[in-house]
Amino acid sequence: MDLIIGGAYQGKLDYAKRKYGLEEDGIFTCSENSDISFDRRCINSIQEFTLHCVREGLDATEIFRARKNKWENSILICEDIFCGVVPLGADIRAWREMTGRLCAYLSSEANSVTRIFCGLEQKLK
Amino acid sequence: MNILISGGCKNGKSGFAQRLAVKLSPDGKRYYVATMIPYDDEDRKRIALHIADRAELGFGTLETGRDIATVIEKGGRNATYLVDSVTALLLNEMFPDMHSGAADQNAAKRCANGLLKIAKEAKNAVFVTDYIYSDAARYDEFTESYRSSLAYIDRVLAAECDKVIELCAGNVSFIKGGINL
Repeated sequence: MDLIIGGAYQGKLDYAKRKYGLEEDGIFTCSENSDISFDRRCINSIQEFTLHCVREGLDATEIFRARKNKWENSILICEDIFCGVVPLGADIRAWREMTGRLCAYLSSEANSVTRIFCGLEQKLK
Repeated sequence: MNILISGGCKNGKSGFAQRLAVKLSPDGKRYYVATMIPYDDEDRKRIALHIADRAELGFGTLETGRDIATVIEKGGRNATYLVDSVTALLLNEMFPDMHSGAADQNAAKRCANGLLKIAKEAKNAVFVTDYIYSDAARYDEFTESYRSSLAYIDRVLAAECDKVIELCAGNVSFIKGGINL
């Protein structure tokens, strides 16, 4: 699995499309309103899935851990939402924490971790 | 040589950029392109302090809050330009009337083109921008369109510049172009 992280609007998905030759039908984009699917090669906007989990009382890391065989050869993309001040809203705090814990788990499992900064790649792992 | 400097607020980007611009232009003309438009006495006092800070570094000051490419007409091609900051420039171009709140959706493209012109025509350019993309917040539509617009300009500049540098608490990461300055 290759993990791509970076701030909003940095060009993470563009990078993944270029690097892996992805087409739209190979990409699942997460939504805060629905469950995740592991059926496509690339899962984008994982931070939306963690927000969904916070609202539904689910543990995102446990869900990933339980279905590891489904994503161990995938390309996973998550937004870095970790650098602001502690959010005032409890649900946003929980969202940030759940996303952070999931990213740490995914980083430890990843073959490579790439950070995208202003459209440029930075190899972290 | 063109260099893009990004990073969070209050991490030493401006001071670093000034030293870099001086280094790039040991004998040549150098201009500090100030993009912030002062709105009150507090702004004006802060700007006066900044001018005093730069006084010994030999910068001419070009106050240019909009139409950024016009600095080339003022200072010529054979000069080094420090544009501080892309963030303020976009704010001025995108929200020309601060009170109405109406956003000019063509502003990002206009800013990017103007800044590219400086990068292509000037001897050296250093651009300072702000990294505002990694917090856990759900913003309103105006703020999101401002964030995506600034990110667009950053990406255009990052592709064009020889070096891209990120500052964190005064520490330097070289994202593009190697570690030699």
